[in-house]
Amino acid sequence: MSIYTLGIDVGSTASKCIILKDGTEIVGKSLIDVGAGTSGPARAIEAAFESCGMKASDMAYTLATGYGRNSLENIADSQMSELSCHAKGASFLFPDVRTVIDIGGQDVKALHIENGAMVNFQMNDKCAAGTGRFLDVMAKVLEVEVNDLGDLGAQSTKRIAISSTCTVFAESEVISQLSMGTDKRDIINGIHHSVANRVVGLVNRIGVQDRVVMTGGVAQNKGIVAALEEGLGHTVYTSPLTQYNGALGAALFAYQKALRNVNK
Amino acid sequence: MSIETRFNEFKAAAYAPGKLLKQYKAEGKKVIGVLPYYAPEELVYAAGMVPMGIWGTNTKTISKAKEYCATFYCTIAQLALEMMLDGTMDDLDGVITPTICDTLRPMSQNFRVAMTNLHKMPTIFLAHPQYRRPQFGLEFTVAQYTNVRKELDKIAGHEMTDEDIRGAIKVYNKYRQARREFVKLAGEHPEAVSAVNRSAVLKAGYFMEKPEYTEKLNELNEELKALPASNWDGIKIVTSGIICDNPVLLKIFDDNKIAIATDDVAHESRTIRVDAAEDGDPMMALAKQFADEDYDVLLYDEASNKNRRGEFVANLVKESGAKGLVLFMQQFCDPEEMEYPYLKKALDDAGIPHIKLGIDQQMRDFGQASTAIQAFADVLSV
Repeated sequence: MSIYTLGIDVGSTASKCIILKDGTEIVGKSLIDVGAGTSGPARAIEAAFESCGMKASDMAYTLATGYGRNSLENIADSQMSELSCHAKGASFLFPDVRTVIDIGGQDVKALHIENGAMVNFQMNDKCAAGTGRFLDVMAKVLEVEVNDLGDLGAQSTKRIAISSTCTVFAESEVISQLSMGTDKRDIINGIHHSVANRVVGLVNRIGVQDRVVMTGGVAQNKGIVAALEEGLGHTVYTSPLTQYNGALGAALFAYQKALRNVNK
Repeated sequence: MSIETRFNEFKAAAYAPGKLLKQYKAEGKKVIGVLPYYAPEELVYAAGMVPMGIWGTNTKTISKAKEYCATFYCTIAQLALEMMLDGTMDDLDGVITPTICDTLRPMSQNFRVAMTNLHKMPTIFLAHPQYRRPQFGLEFTVAQYTNVRKELDKIAGHEMTDEDIRGAIKVYNKYRQARREFVKLAGEHPEAVSAVNRSAVLKAGYFMEKPEYTEKLNELNEELKALPASNWDGIKIVTSGIICDNPVLLKIFDDNKIAIATDDVAHESRTIRVDAAEDGDPMMALAKQFADEDYDVLLYDEASNKNRRGEFVANLVKESGAKGLVLFMQQFCDPEEMEYPYLKKALDDAGIPHIKLGIDQQMRDFGQASTAIQAFADVLSV
């Protein structure tokens, strides 16, 4: 009989779920664009079950991760930090991964992986610069959708320098550039390099080793990925499942725990 | 009395020092506030007054102190001033303002101006020497401590004698010994001493009267000694930094089964490593005690290029049986920030994993710290 496990990643800006069969096959997934403290987690869980026609009682083990991981006490059997889950998920998708970069809504993490396990990590200081929130703020000022930033930035013809030190001051710089009539696409390209500069410094603290994998929603932004590759001097790999990576890791850990329960 | 009841007694003092201050005043005692670091509290005790440590607060935000302080002063200093401005400390009869770091040096003048203008309380200036070990350094320390002694005499209304100071040194040596023993026992028995309770016990020492505190702590130590060998199956770490006394933050350690084996924290063990001689000239004994202090980012080290402090901390981790170190980096603490690359190098060279958590005393949300601590536990479990 197959073992099904549920991984829930309650982030600061989105809620993601993955349902795994026997720790190897993804049979259900969901993503809701609001995170901790909202209806997002409950809606994401419901949507995940709907996507594969299953229900909570079919799950051998449910594990929560992400910023809101402690808010699912009645739903999840246990919780783990998103760093461990991102390491696990990335190792599943890219077995030879050594460096994981995860840019989340309010955190940036760099993980050093050996043999599929996290052995060192760095997180950003308490500052929004270089995070997904930084991109949200910039997209709002530029009156574009955050999901369009990657394509727009790719059309840039020249580099505009945007401060990499503070979201508030960077926002002022963008407004200043807009008032001078600078092309939005060039500003966006500058923003991507601003984020990348910040993240490169963090990643270098743990040492960059191939293969480098980027996870989290921001990895869908090709401009950020390209700027990171330029800054790091390494190829940065992403997966179509990048946003689900934390939930995938949680579902994989859930499978390990379910097996342990079966063998008890 | 159960161990839990004993912890609750310490917690009552640690979390409500204002109540104790009122109690001391109601008993007709004079109370002196003592700011960090290395103030000779023994002199306050010898003068027949009660010293109370002032290391900021986790329950207030900076408002009135902004009038006096640069933004980049640490929250410990700013919140200390805040409490002296907002009435919390109005019952104090005076305050000692050491100047051993770059923030406290100018802050000593902010305290003086504010307290003088508002007619609140006398401030007692204390400048430790950079060269604390040569004869001229010792003499400078004695001269400074003598100034403090004279100012305390004025507030007390009588002159303390050398015998009074020798008596105070004995009381403080016993106090430090009890604290050192508690730190050791807490590291050996994490199943009985949570990180939250460990901190509360150590913090209470800054507010309770020393003989009573030492007696209660010795009783607790005896109970801990009588416990069977620990069956702790969690992780042990060493903490480092200026202060980490926020119970909300420390509970994250308890929730993740991370115990504090020992510490290199200024508010905790860095202040209790060295005792003073109980005979001879008591002022020189206190000066020598300060000279003998070592391995502190705040103290000048003639051999700093050898990274002795980094090695000391790395050895502390190894000898305590801990698996890693958690550094609480106080925001805007220049000495700790500047020293960090050297500490990191020593830890990396010794193969000791560590994390650096940026904190300040106005933090109320520890979500990011919680994630980092839990992830660190996962790393140490690999």
